[in-house]
Amino acid sequence: MLALRAPGVLGLQGLTLVAGGAALCLLAAGRRPEELGLGRSHLGGRLLGGAALAAVLLLPAAARWGGGPGLAPALGVAAVAVSVGEEVAFRGVLFAALEEAYGPAAAVLGSTAAWTLAHVLSHPAPFLPAVTAAGLLLAAWRWAARDLVGPIVGHVLADVAL
Amino acid sequence: MRRRAALLSLAATAYVAAAWAVTPGFYDGIAPPQPYRWVSPPPQFKSSNQQPLSGRGSARVASNGSVDPGSIFTQDGQAAVSFVPGAFVTPADRSPVTIDVKPVAEFPNPDGTHLATNVYCVTSSSPLTPGKDVLVTLQFSDQLPAPSDIYEYQGDGPWKKIGSTGSAAPFYIATRATSLGCFAGGYPANAKQSAQGARLGGGQALPIIVALAILVVVLAGVPLAVMRRRAARAAREDESEP
Repeated sequence: MLALRAPGVLGLQGLTLVAGGAALCLLAAGRRPEELGLGRSHLGGRLLGGAALAAVLLLPAAARWGGGPGLAPALGVAAVAVSVGEEVAFRGVLFAALEEAYGPAAAVLGSTAAWTLAHVLSHPAPFLPAVTAAGLLLAAWRWAARDLVGPIVGHVLADVAL
Repeated sequence: MRRRAALLSLAATAYVAAAWAVTPGFYDGIAPPQPYRWVSPPPQFKSSNQQPLSGRGSARVASNGSVDPGSIFTQDGQAAVSFVPGAFVTPADRSPVTIDVKPVAEFPNPDGTHLATNVYCVTSSSPLTPGKDVLVTLQFSDQLPAPSDIYEYQGDGPWKKIGSTGSAAPFYIATRATSLGCFAGGYPANAKQSAQGARLGGGQALPIIVALAILVVVLAGVPLAVMRRRAARAAREDESEP
């Protein structure tokens, strides 16, 4: 496959993104999984929540889908790493820190604002309202279900499917 | 509990409304947000194709006499040229150096090479300084096989491969060029077949993934909710027993 035979193109990008995702996950060092919403209780429900979130995130794209290939394999792996990293950083560590300091409303709004700001450089301006709304939805789930597994599963599925 | 469910529903509705305003909707920056604009679109993109745009910019001469660094993008962002201080020869009148990046429809036949992007010609009002280079960055379509290298020709050709330095951004390829000319991303024509396999089926399967997710939620969610309700009822009954 050309993409895999040409590490200078997609392979390098994939490695960069995987490294970025891993770096974001390192922010969780020193935190207990439960603080981040990563406890093991009700795992079935959390995974189902992830599937539901993925369905909502993908609904606008699926309803208007005209076909077309998805991500190259190297970027598919990178998409998983980035999704997990973003969730751990924004809805995990930042959410927990803001909630401890200022309460749940600040955690939902603050993590969404930081998530939107982090996408300002990578996204054209017309996409930012949708980015903000996605951040709000994932943060609302994190608050309502005290869960980060759902947002991780939903985010990963949405990234890989597109 | 009801308040939380109501707020979640509100957030989901707001998301669908916001994502509906843009295509494809959910987008996390991994793939290009807009379809590639072709000068001569492949048959499958003809009906929806928009013509690519050109770009023009200028670099001033600094007080130390060297031409400032900068980047010139086409208006659709599909091609860019970046340069360091002094990359261009300082004009005698110290006027700004103008750089143009234009997609072109006519070019020499790239024998043995399959071009995977438009051909962009880069010109400047002052020549490149000997020994200096510019960084040429080209976007490519996410719908077709990726180019492995950037190719260049000058005048009437021929095309020559000038390599690839990779790019941090997905679906962009870049390389350093020691001369200005016309550039395109491509790969050896005999690699075409294997290149077409470099895709996941996820894009085609998007509606199926969404349908499956909904099915899983409904099929597994209902029994889960019933089990939870039964457990809660049993707990209440245990508490009420003397």
